[in-house]
Amino acid sequence: MQRPNFMSGTVTLMAGLLLAPAAHAQTTLNVAALADFAGPYANVMNDMQGGRLAVIDWWNKEVGEKLKVRIAVKTYDTRYDVAQTASLWPGIKAELKPVLLLGLGGPDAAALQQRLPEDKVPMLMGTAAYGFGWKPNQWALNIRPTYPHEAAGFLEWFRASRLEGKRPVKVGIISSEATPAYADQAKGLQAYAKAHADRVTFVEAIWTEVQPADLTLQVRRLANAGTDVIVIQTNTAQAVATKRALQALGKNIPIMLSLHNGVLGSSKALGNPNGFVGDFEVGAIADASDDDTAGRRFYRMLQEKHGLKSAWNAMTMLGLGQSIVAVRAIEATVKAKGADKVTGEAIHAALLATQFSGAELMGLLPGVDFSTDAPFPTGSAKVNIASMKDGKVVRVAADVPVPTLPKW
Amino acid sequence: MMIEFVNYALNGALLGLLYALVAMGFVVIYRASKVFNMAVGEMLVLGAFLVWWAVAASAMHPAVGIAAALAISVLVGLAIERLLFRRLIGESVFSMIMVTIGLLILMRGLVLLIWGPQERPFPAIISLTPIIIGDMIVPRPLAAGGLIAVVCAAGLHWFFNRSRTGLAMSAVAEDHQIALAMGISVRRSIAFAWALGGVLSVITSMVYLSGKSLTFLSSEIGFAALPVALLAGLESIAGLLLAGLIVGIVQGLTAAYIDPLIGGNAASVVPYLFMLVVLVVRPTGMFGWKRIERV
Repeated sequence: MQRPNFMSGTVTLMAGLLLAPAAHAQTTLNVAALADFAGPYANVMNDMQGGRLAVIDWWNKEVGEKLKVRIAVKTYDTRYDVAQTASLWPGIKAELKPVLLLGLGGPDAAALQQRLPEDKVPMLMGTAAYGFGWKPNQWALNIRPTYPHEAAGFLEWFRASRLEGKRPVKVGIISSEATPAYADQAKGLQAYAKAHADRVTFVEAIWTEVQPADLTLQVRRLANAGTDVIVIQTNTAQAVATKRALQALGKNIPIMLSLHNGVLGSSKALGNPNGFVGDFEVGAIADASDDDTAGRRFYRMLQEKHGLKSAWNAMTMLGLGQSIVAVRAIEATVKAKGADKVTGEAIHAALLATQFSGAELMGLLPGVDFSTDAPFPTGSAKVNIASMKDGKVVRVAADVPVPTLPKW
Repeated sequence: MMIEFVNYALNGALLGLLYALVAMGFVVIYRASKVFNMAVGEMLVLGAFLVWWAVAASAMHPAVGIAAALAISVLVGLAIERLLFRRLIGESVFSMIMVTIGLLILMRGLVLLIWGPQERPFPAIISLTPIIIGDMIVPRPLAAGGLIAVVCAAGLHWFFNRSRTGLAMSAVAEDHQIALAMGISVRRSIAFAWALGGVLSVITSMVYLSGKSLTFLSSEIGFAALPVALLAGLESIAGLLLAGLIVGIVQGLTAAYIDPLIGGNAASVVPYLFMLVVLVVRPTGMFGWKRIERV
């Protein structure tokens, strides 16, 4: 009696083992992530990368399992270098056959913008967009509008709240021609000021090195011209040099920073935890304030259940925001086409066809609505404005609408 | 208007003297070994991290911290000579330049490995309170840097032209084999030059970065100082001051008056144009040695 039982048990077990993979057949979709661990953003890359991986881990467990889809990420260090990205990409494409790319910034866009439509692989970037990429039918898409759009949103708010809308806000920008992305920030802001002279007066663009030796005289020129706001969307080194110049001159002109060179990072680089009190960081993504927002709750959940180690800051937010759009786009494609028919082209189509709500994006973004006209959200873009107090980021204004800008 | 012009010219001149100080790193090594050191910027960053580590991270008294940084930089310079250049004595100049490119990559990697990519607040070794003369405003670190550049140039000029060791180093730069035949220790000369390069990198980093942020990318100033070194001629310490003043004033005035007109960064291009024009007329630079070769 025992032998037949053993035999039947063995057969059942073997059958079970053979059938199990079929029953749990899972499609793996490869995503390539471009990172900078040895270039200008190496200091903040770990936070962003942590955000990316935690969202994908969450999606694989909470959503992907039900859809029988798993997203596998492989990361490549491009050192924020156009040549490095361009030379690595053919190998990435051949080795990984990715259905989606998580890009980092301007150099990735500059290197791959022309190739991606041919390669049929869309790229999503967490940074703000650039004017040179503002063309129809793009495959390199930013989850935020351009840097000048974000600055314009802030300047309109500043004019309304601080100048009571009585006169145009006088703005100067400090930038560099070291990368096309930096130069583009100044050109876009000039185009905005030209189109809206009633609201903004462009004082001057100060062109300097990425790590300036001294900016005292340049900043004095801005101060003497009555500048209300200095915009710096490049890096923390320029923010620190500008702050030192303002301190030397005894002037207190507010600086508007972006997220990758925000108030916390710049204060740390200045050596004073409250160094940028009275200044602002602006981005069309959830801010890193302590307010109990949906985005903050999602972050905490990722910390507790998915091993997220990155601090609650703007760079983590970029990683979270970028990857939440990525997984939602893959999800939409799986639901529309089926797991076995997910291709780069299908994901691109889903990105253009789907309007992702703020709730779907876990409150990390106000919503995303790509179209063929622009490689960034147009209708749903809103900026959050934060400042700092007691060494922490505090929200100043939320969901500030982004004005319409002419192309430059 | 005139005061502003003078102020821009003065600050440009001081910035040019900072470039001259950085460029001394090129010239000191070249004068002693005929090697064009591509890793000057990386040596500066290493010197800066040593100061940061001693003064800010280890909270040493600034005087003690700077002395410690200087001592370590001398050891690093000696180690570079011992590990890399001692084996290359008598080899072609091209081989040595290639090694300095390797050194650049190695030092960047080591800095990233030891201190990571994070930005660090560099201690304000030199007071940040500006010097105000009437309507003119002069950043104190730049003013101090100008003074240090003049003192260093005078000291090094005397050393290379008057001291026995300095003259021996110049002979080494002429030809390793001939120097050896004359009983000059090529090894010791090159080691001394690298140690001197290390000391200069610490001094320069304190002028350049005082009160600012430090990352491994601060090495960019090494290439910004290149036009000054080439304009002066790679053998002339005193010539660096004049070249620095020319480049700095031209750059400062371009940034103040031309950049706003054209809406671009002409100031970063003009020094190179100026350098190219001079090099076309005088390929050895303004004060470079003219070599007479017997055919």
